[in-house]
Amino acid sequence: MTGSPLELQPLFELGPVQITEPVITTWGIMVLTGLFCWLATRRLNLKPGKVQAALELVVGGIDHQIEEVVRKDPAPFRAIIGTVFLFILIANWSSLIPGVEPPTARLETDAALALIVLVSSGYFGVRMRGAGGYLKSFAEPSWAMIPLNIVEQITRTFSLVVRLFGNIMCGVFVIGIVLSLAGLFVPIPLMALELLSGTVQAYIFAILGCVLIATAVSDESTDPAPPLKQGDRA
Amino acid sequence: MHIDWWTLALQTINLLVLVWILSRFLFRPIADIVSQRQAAADDLLHKAEAERVRAEEAESKAEAERQAMQKARGDVLLKAEQEAEASRAQLLEQARDETDKLRANAKAEVAKLREVQEASMGREASELAVQIAAKLFDRLPDAARIDGFIDGLAEAAAKLPERTRAEIGVGDETVAVAAARALSESERAACKAALAKALGRDVKIEVTVDPALIAGLEITAPHASVRNSFRADLDRIAAELGTHASA
Repeated sequence: MTGSPLELQPLFELGPVQITEPVITTWGIMVLTGLFCWLATRRLNLKPGKVQAALELVVGGIDHQIEEVVRKDPAPFRAIIGTVFLFILIANWSSLIPGVEPPTARLETDAALALIVLVSSGYFGVRMRGAGGYLKSFAEPSWAMIPLNIVEQITRTFSLVVRLFGNIMCGVFVIGIVLSLAGLFVPIPLMALELLSGTVQAYIFAILGCVLIATAVSDESTDPAPPLKQGDRA
Repeated sequence: MHIDWWTLALQTINLLVLVWILSRFLFRPIADIVSQRQAAADDLLHKAEAERVRAEEAESKAEAERQAMQKARGDVLLKAEQEAEASRAQLLEQARDETDKLRANAKAEVAKLREVQEASMGREASELAVQIAAKLFDRLPDAARIDGFIDGLAEAAAKLPERTRAEIGVGDETVAVAAARALSESERAACKAALAKALGRDVKIEVTVDPALIAGLEITAPHASVRNSFRADLDRIAAELGTHASA
């Protein structure tokens, strides 16, 4: 933790491609998550075991949240929103493993997440309302709002990136500083706090992404997104 | 601030791959199994509903059967009651007939008994009358037992039909005269004279004594008898009483 948090040192290079630490960590998360899911869902039963029941609870919870925000069948959005939530959660909690820096503490990862959400919001908007309908949504409530709406899209996405990056990066740095100053067991309460903060950030990112998509796919031009029940704590 | 574009690109690709992995190995199978379970539960509910409907049908059928059975039972009971009523009435009728018959029998018995009793009473009364008359005549002079009766006997003989009169004391036959006591000679003569006058010819008389006559005389012939005595009067009265009692 001695370098700048905004600078990335490539670990190695594959031809012109520079491979950095967050990419490696993300690969690890992908492999482990994929392996676990493959093992857990290999033999699903109508009478669920413990693991299956837990997974069903997670998926059901995600579906429920999506449905509350979008007010539509959650099936099309489940993969994007669910993956975003689970990846951020796992990435944030990966800081518990000694020597691993969470990928979400890096601007590039958060930017990639926000980019995916932005693009998928456009994709779902076009798919559900048609290209014309989606583009028309920028002209609501009047043509004069077009520049503002475009700026809103960009700033919302940007705020997603900065919120997640700032929170996680700060947590990592605080723990690093306390560890270097105080000693071995002192940062444990801070780490516990970081777990909570990581969960909250994952939830916020997923819900705000959901709202972005809901705005794009909503048929109601005047009231695009229903109010959030959980407070926006970021 | 510096952004590593390679990292950004790789992370984007990584995340897209992860989206595919999770979608393939987590979200789709779980959603499938949940919907399968939902379908199974729906199926089960439908089956249960059908089962419930069937059970309700069976219940209503059983209820109908029960009601029919109850009705049949009521009918049977009613019939039995009616039969019992009929047989009771019949028995009552029989008993009444029996009673009537018994009563009639008893009445007849009583009537018969009374008749017998009255007859015996009549007999007793006549005997009593005979005794009383005999007692009373004991107080009168002996002459009174014969005197007044000779003329009466002759008159009665005179009233007999001609043929009968002619048959009495024909030829040597004697006329049997029964008297309450032995006749004196004068009385015997008076009797003979009176008879001779009534029959229109001379007859021989043979007097027999019969105290049962109490007072008076009687003639006994093969085809006729002339009775002029208390005994005969009392007999007549007794007979009269008997016919009155039985009437």
